[in-house]
Amino acid sequence: MHLFLMIGLVAFSILAVLSRDLLKSAISLAVASVFLALIFFEMNAVYAGVFEVSVVAGLITVLFITAIALTRSDGDVVESKLHRLIFPLFFAALAVIDLLVMRKLMGRIPAMVSPESGTFGQVLWNQRTFDLVGQIGVIFAGVLAVLALFRQGKSPAGDAPHTGDAALTGRQPKGDQHE
Amino acid sequence: MIFLFIIVPLLLASLLPLLGKISRRFLPDLLANAAMLFLLVLSVLYAKPLIANGGIIQQAFWFGAPLNIRLLLDGFSLFMLFTISLISFAITLYSINYMEHYGAKANYYALLLVMIAGMNGLVLTSDLFNIYLFLEVAAVASYALVAFGQGPDELEASFKYLMLSAVASAFILIAIAIIFGLTGGVSFGTVAHGLNTLNIKYVVGFCSGLFLMGFGLKAAIVPFHSWLPDAHPSAPAPISAMLSGVLIKVSGVYAMMRIFLNVFGLTPALTTVLTVLGIVSIFVGALAALGQNDIKRMLAYSSISQIGYVVLGLGIGTPLGILGGLFHLFNHALFKSLLFLNAGAVEQSTGTRSLDKMGGLAKRMPLTAATSAIGSLSIAGVPPLNGFWSKLLIIIALVQAKMIVLAVLAVLGSVVTLWYYLVLQHQAFFGNLNENWKAVKEAPFWMSAATVLLALLCIVTGLAFPFVIHSWLQPAADVLGKGVGVAMNFIGF
Amino acid sequence: MNNLWILNMGFVALLIGTGIYCLLAMKNTVKLLIGIEIIAKGVTLALISSGYARNNIMLAQSLAITVIVVDVAVIATALAIIININRHTKSLDVGKLTRLKG
Repeated sequence: MHLFLMIGLVAFSILAVLSRDLLKSAISLAVASVFLALIFFEMNAVYAGVFEVSVVAGLITVLFITAIALTRSDGDVVESKLHRLIFPLFFAALAVIDLLVMRKLMGRIPAMVSPESGTFGQVLWNQRTFDLVGQIGVIFAGVLAVLALFRQGKSPAGDAPHTGDAALTGRQPKGDQHE
Repeated sequence: MIFLFIIVPLLLASLLPLLGKISRRFLPDLLANAAMLFLLVLSVLYAKPLIANGGIIQQAFWFGAPLNIRLLLDGFSLFMLFTISLISFAITLYSINYMEHYGAKANYYALLLVMIAGMNGLVLTSDLFNIYLFLEVAAVASYALVAFGQGPDELEASFKYLMLSAVASAFILIAIAIIFGLTGGVSFGTVAHGLNTLNIKYVVGFCSGLFLMGFGLKAAIVPFHSWLPDAHPSAPAPISAMLSGVLIKVSGVYAMMRIFLNVFGLTPALTTVLTVLGIVSIFVGALAALGQNDIKRMLAYSSISQIGYVVLGLGIGTPLGILGGLFHLFNHALFKSLLFLNAGAVEQSTGTRSLDKMGGLAKRMPLTAATSAIGSLSIAGVPPLNGFWSKLLIIIALVQAKMIVLAVLAVLGSVVTLWYYLVLQHQAFFGNLNENWKAVKEAPFWMSAATVLLALLCIVTGLAFPFVIHSWLQPAADVLGKGVGVAMNFIGF
Repeated sequence: MNNLWILNMGFVALLIGTGIYCLLAMKNTVKLLIGIEIIAKGVTLALISSGYARNNIMLAQSLAITVIVVDVAVIATALAIIININRHTKSLDVGKLTRLKG
């Protein structure tokens, strides 16, 4: 079961890379996230699994689809079909090297006794409190970044920002409905 | 308490967008500068006496209730805190005038404060994962700040910077995950103890390699330097100064050295790699800077070169080498920020960054020319300014460690540095006044105040270097010199 | 338990290799971000499997969740930059980003 989920995860990631249509890529990525969440559940990481599904398969996919919709133009860049040839070779080489290294390491890594941990709430709020400060910081940074980058600038380089912003405000409500 | 170093910038950053609606310029300027001055004073008056007897671990409080945050403050952390606070204060002073034509000052200060909070958090923690986390806080803020002007150049530079930086962070995280898998923990104490008892040299070497690639990119060491010559010139001048002067040192050099020297322990292999990368960075940066026409791009390549000196000094591992490396880190923060701020002043007055379009600006901008001259002489290593002493220490340390070839190369690098800075000074400031610049004015008050402050510090640090070394650098060097012993003491908290 | 850890790390290597290939070979800027996302998946998998191997799954989950939060912030900022670039160049081609040279 575990192996099946892992292979599924890698397969959909490869699909996301090789897809020539951006939307299909984003959807493949979301499916890969679901596989990853299932792997997390299997390893008893329930909170991480739920978070993975809701944030990565949910929020990030919505962000991607919004961005793809906002930047849709006639001169879309489509990847060449050559990648369908090159990538399998690359991947096969990678897999072989990987297998050899793993085989060499098997049984060589000594086990270490690890400390007992409490419940998830205890760990997150008590042991990793500083992480929470960091998370707040990074969320601030992200929000301020988006505010800064989408502001109506006085700079002379701002050519035709109004059409862009109209598209943004026009599409935003739809994005919210997806959530 | 030390927690203020992180909380004050974060709180102010959260309030600024709202305050910015009420008062577009005055209140953000005042508050940001007051906060930076407060942190600077805090680091000198409050934090410094705390470590008189060695490093401490202080628990944070929130309105009287104890939080489970234990912050580490030792010589190395304090030294970095002081450097960050000092340069940040100069930057916020400068920004009062410079950011006028970008608009959205409140947003700018908020991002800058988040970046500073991230850097402060990075130096105050004793946990591998926290280093990654606060590094990302500062990095995300910096991506937005580089792209702040929303022009095509800035956006492209920010995008490339973001891509490379994200890969570097991924490498760092993989190494952390592997170490977590080996030792069962991510705090310094757990990791140091774990690695000591296990015997898996190759895997630790692999993790060191990953850290080297990740932090090396953040510090812009060759061959991971390609993002810097694009990102630093395109950013607004105070942000270029912040990035070159502080961020690459905190997120690159500090994190790398803290982990290599205090948690892993410095092996001969690491010494070789670091010293070689340092020398290569010195030369690639210096030679590339020679051919530049854009003043800020020249300064960016120069940063790569000078960080090479820092890594070289710290990589030697001997007490004198560490001392020289740290001293050069501090000095470079001072004079590189000074030079970038001056380049910004020139760009604002003349509208160009091309050296061949400038000329003779000393007649119209005497203060800028003077402070820039001091900065250039310092970085080139002219006695008795500060750059000379730090480079001397590094070269003596190289000779002592029997790396004569590297010492000669380091001296050669210094000569090249002197050359291109003389070119810069001559082309921009001296010579005949170019017709176009007959009417340019000197830089506005706060911008000049910031650059004069930094220039004075260069002079004072150079003249009073024994005091600076004894008071600020020796504790930091001692911490690094103690090696893995420092991390071993952190078990059980 | 350790062999399972090594097996998981093997898959992590495959994921990261795929992500790096995407970053190196793809021309569309949004595709590059998808590459970053794949690498992020590999990293969270590495963290969780390390936690599982060391019987400390709660710590691993906290770390993984924090990494996901950071990832969201980075992706949001990156998309904001890409949308802004698109306003200027009207295209998503990385090859068009050649203004800065030398």
